[in-house]
Amino acid sequence: MRSMPHNNSDEQPKKIFTVTDIATIGVMAALLEVVKVALQSIPNVELVTLLIIVFTLYLGPKALIAVWGFVGMECAVYGIGLWTIMYVYVWPILVLLTCLLRKYKSQWPFVTLAAMFGLFFGAMCSIPYFFMGGPATALAWWVAGIPYDILHGITNFIGAAVLFTPLTNALKRIRNSVPD
Amino acid sequence: MKKTTKIIISVVAVLAVICILFGVYKALSPKAQTGSKAVKVEVTDNNGQTKSYDVKTDAEFLSQVMDELSAAGDFSYEGTNGDYGLYITAINGVTADYDADGAYWSIMVNGEYGMYGADSQPVADGDTFGFVYEVYAAQ
Repeated sequence: MRSMPHNNSDEQPKKIFTVTDIATIGVMAALLEVVKVALQSIPNVELVTLLIIVFTLYLGPKALIAVWGFVGMECAVYGIGLWTIMYVYVWPILVLLTCLLRKYKSQWPFVTLAAMFGLFFGAMCSIPYFFMGGPATALAWWVAGIPYDILHGITNFIGAAVLFTPLTNALKRIRNSVPD
Repeated sequence: MKKTTKIIISVVAVLAVICILFGVYKALSPKAQTGSKAVKVEVTDNNGQTKSYDVKTDAEFLSQVMDELSAAGDFSYEGTNGDYGLYITAINGVTADYDADGAYWSIMVNGEYGMYGADSQPVADGDTFGFVYEVYAAQ
C-alpha cells in the first residue's frame, strides 16, 4: 500500500500528496466528469458511483479531492444550484463508506454498496429540503423520486457487477507501472 | 465465504431494500386523481388504422374528454365552432377536408353514428367513442 512516507529522517517533511497523487487525482476528476457527461442522456444510468468506489479503493480518503474536483467542474458547467449542496456531501458519503469496506477483497460488498447508494440517493439528496421546507417537504420529495431511485439502484448493481473487476484490475496494472 | 453465497447475500439485500422502497412509495405517494367514468376512445384514421385510448374522466361531454386527452399528450384535434357546435376538422394531425374530397370525421357512440356534435355528446361510464375518418362518395 502506498501511503505517507515514513518520517524516519527529520529533514524530510511529511508529504501527504505525492506528485503521482496529484496527477492521479486530476485524471480521476476529469474521468468522473467525462463519464458523467457521456451517460447523462440516459436517465438513472451512471458510472460515477462505481468510479468513485474504485478510485477510493485505489487512493483512500485522498479520492475526496478528485470527487470535489468533479463537483467543482459540474458547477463550472451547469452553474450553482441546490444540487451543488447535495453533491458536496453525497459523494463524500460514498468515499467514506468505501473506506469502511476497504478490507474486503471480493467485489460483492462494493457491488452491493453501489446498488444501495443508488437506492438511497434520493433519500440522501432530500436532506436540503428538510432544512428548506421541513420534514413533510423532504419526505414528499423523496417519495416522488423512489421509482427513479429503484431504477438507479438496479443499474448501479448491474454496472458494478460487470465493471468493478475490470476497472480494479486496470488500476492495479497502472499502479504497478507507476513509480512511487 | 463462497462466491455464490456472496452473490446471493448481495442480491437479496438489494431486493429487500427495493421492496421496502416500493412499499414506502405505494403507501405514501399521493393518489392520482382519477375520474369516475371509464370510457374508451378509438380513432380510425384515413389509412384504416385504429388507435384506442382508455380514459378515466369526470367529463360531461365528449369534447371535454378530447381536451383531457390532448392535455395528456398522444392525442390532438382541431375543429371549428359553428352554428351546430364543434365541427372536427382534424384528429391526430389527419385533416378531413370535406370541400376537397368529401372527407369528414364521424363520431361513433358505442358502435352507432353519434347524434350530437362532440361538445353536446354526453359521456357515460363504459361508453366507447369512435372518431372515424370517412369519405362521402357521391357517385
